Amino acid sequence: MTKEHIKSNKGPFTAAVTANKRLGERFYRLRLEFAGAGARAFAKAQPGQFAELDLSTATLPPPDTIPENLLDVSSRNILLRRPFSFCDLSSKGSKTYVEILYCVLGPASLRMTTLSKNDLVSVIGPLGNGFSVPKGRKIALLASGGMGAGPLLHLAKILKEKHTKIDVIAIVGAKTKKELPFEIHKSQPKDFKKYKVKSLITTDDGSLGIKGLVTECLTEWLNKNKPASKDTIIYSCGPEAMLARVAEIAKQHKIDCQISMERMMACGFGVCQSCAVECSAAGSGETIYKLCCKDGPVFDGKEVIFNL
Amino acid sequence: MKKKKADISVDFAGLRLANPVFTASGTCGYADELADFANINVLGGFITKSITLKPRKGNPTPRIVETDSGMLNAIGLANIGLENFIKEKLPLIEKMTAKVFVNIAGETIDEYVAVAQRLSGEKAIAGLELNISCPNVKKGGITFGTDPIQVAEITSAVKKVSADKILMVKLSPCVTDIAIIARVAVDSGADALSLINTFTAMVIDIETARPVLANKTGGLSGPAIKPIAVYLVNKVYNEVTKNTNVPILGMGGIRNASDAVEFIIAGATAVGIGTANFIDPACAIKIIEGIKKYCARKKIESIKELIGTLEI
Repeated sequence: MTKEHIKSNKGPFTAAVTANKRLGERFYRLRLEFAGAGARAFAKAQPGQFAELDLSTATLPPPDTIPENLLDVSSRNILLRRPFSFCDLSSKGSKTYVEILYCVLGPASLRMTTLSKNDLVSVIGPLGNGFSVPKGRKIALLASGGMGAGPLLHLAKILKEKHTKIDVIAIVGAKTKKELPFEIHKSQPKDFKKYKVKSLITTDDGSLGIKGLVTECLTEWLNKNKPASKDTIIYSCGPEAMLARVAEIAKQHKIDCQISMERMMACGFGVCQSCAVECSAAGSGETIYKLCCKDGPVFDGKEVIFNL
Repeated sequence: MKKKKADISVDFAGLRLANPVFTASGTCGYADELADFANINVLGGFITKSITLKPRKGNPTPRIVETDSGMLNAIGLANIGLENFIKEKLPLIEKMTAKVFVNIAGETIDEYVAVAQRLSGEKAIAGLELNISCPNVKKGGITFGTDPIQVAEITSAVKKVSADKILMVKLSPCVTDIAIIARVAVDSGADALSLINTFTAMVIDIETARPVLANKTGGLSGPAIKPIAVYLVNKVYNEVTKNTNVPILGMGGIRNASDAVEFIIAGATAVGIGTANFIDPACAIKIIEGIKKYCARKKIESIKELIGTLEI
């Protein structure tokens, strides 16, 4: 009887870890296997959607391996789930596989690093609204900063698979070479290369690719290639300051732009109201708060009032 | 021999609840938001997000921060406002079988009265929960709930215009003696008490020396506050409601059936599930099943036998 009462198409589902690979100093890629209802739910997930993971039961790494800046905070136990978008999604037989690109930033992601093959994780999702592909586009520009690359990798795969007429160009940036969440092969991110997506790398210090910001590279690309506004769309994910600048550039060039926002969330499904994103209300000078979890996390670049 | 099932229904201020489990205000939406995850119709009770006379945008972000075994929130009573609530959410509430309480809030007593008056006569609503304990707004909220004179005034004013509703007053723990506030509320016409709301608290970012929350302070909830909540429920039960017909809706950090049973032993007739809904939206349903199992294991025929049975 209870099972009937808690039947849900969004979870919580139990997923099994199949891999948790380290990609440099602070980045990891977690692969989760879903069976049954979870597999069916996640098979339909769109790029830009997200899942809420319960990491409260994951163990801490040994103290001597914990980065010094996280040592104090690591003793805090975890109460709330943590939201993650997907960098890849695939199905095999009745199973669905979801991959998450994550950065070790606090006590929960620190615990996440100790997850290993066959460990079980409680997952709610897929949640929120992902990226959409308007009809008639010929060029998609993906602009990512640091960890923002995750959902854009998933989007790149879908664009290449299902929208073969669209030319996809990725501009991926980070502060330094070490801060790029990719395996690099011949100065190209392996993952984008796998999908045959052209990518431009920028680093603030010039340690790899073009020295400068993603947004500078984006402006330069637009000025040089002059794509027709109606043919083009920009997708972006990264730090809020970067997203604000991307939205501004898109506006100047009259190009549609979809951005994936990030907020602290307690629930992820619209009841806690924590993850407010200030947006301009249509037809008035007023602003309203939308919810990152339910109305987003993907927003139209034109509507967001950035929190800078 | 067939095992007799325990009766977990309770009488709550004259209202028969199928079981003693509510979802608490601000953690379960306005109506059917959790229906994606569980059959909310098996809940004993349901309390809506706070409703104010006019829509409220709420506070800037960050609005939450996690703490040890808890979280702070400073949402700022963001809500769609009374008229939108009636138009959009009431039709959904009419389809629900759980007993629905609307949590009402305001900046002035007149605003509380206006909301209560407009909702009186709406048959789908069993009761009102008077929010006089929100720590995250500049006017109203906790400023009412910490002053016995204002508690009396607001409770009796709302009671006058909502005779057909069960009036439940939600108490703040941020007072010297919660029993004084509880007694004033009961003497002024409260049919039920819910406790506790969150504790005013702060988290500081030591890199910037600023509070993490945009509102500076927020309300602490979650397992961290549970032992204090159990104590305060027991205190109010012993000192105020024990020999009355006024039930207590006990809440504060409940995340499983064992936690819920603690509150019932302490004196709560029913329990509210709050923060735990964020982590497992089917939590309340699991707690109902867990209470049944506890009763069976302890050979309790009716959960009513358990209320306020703390042995000292």
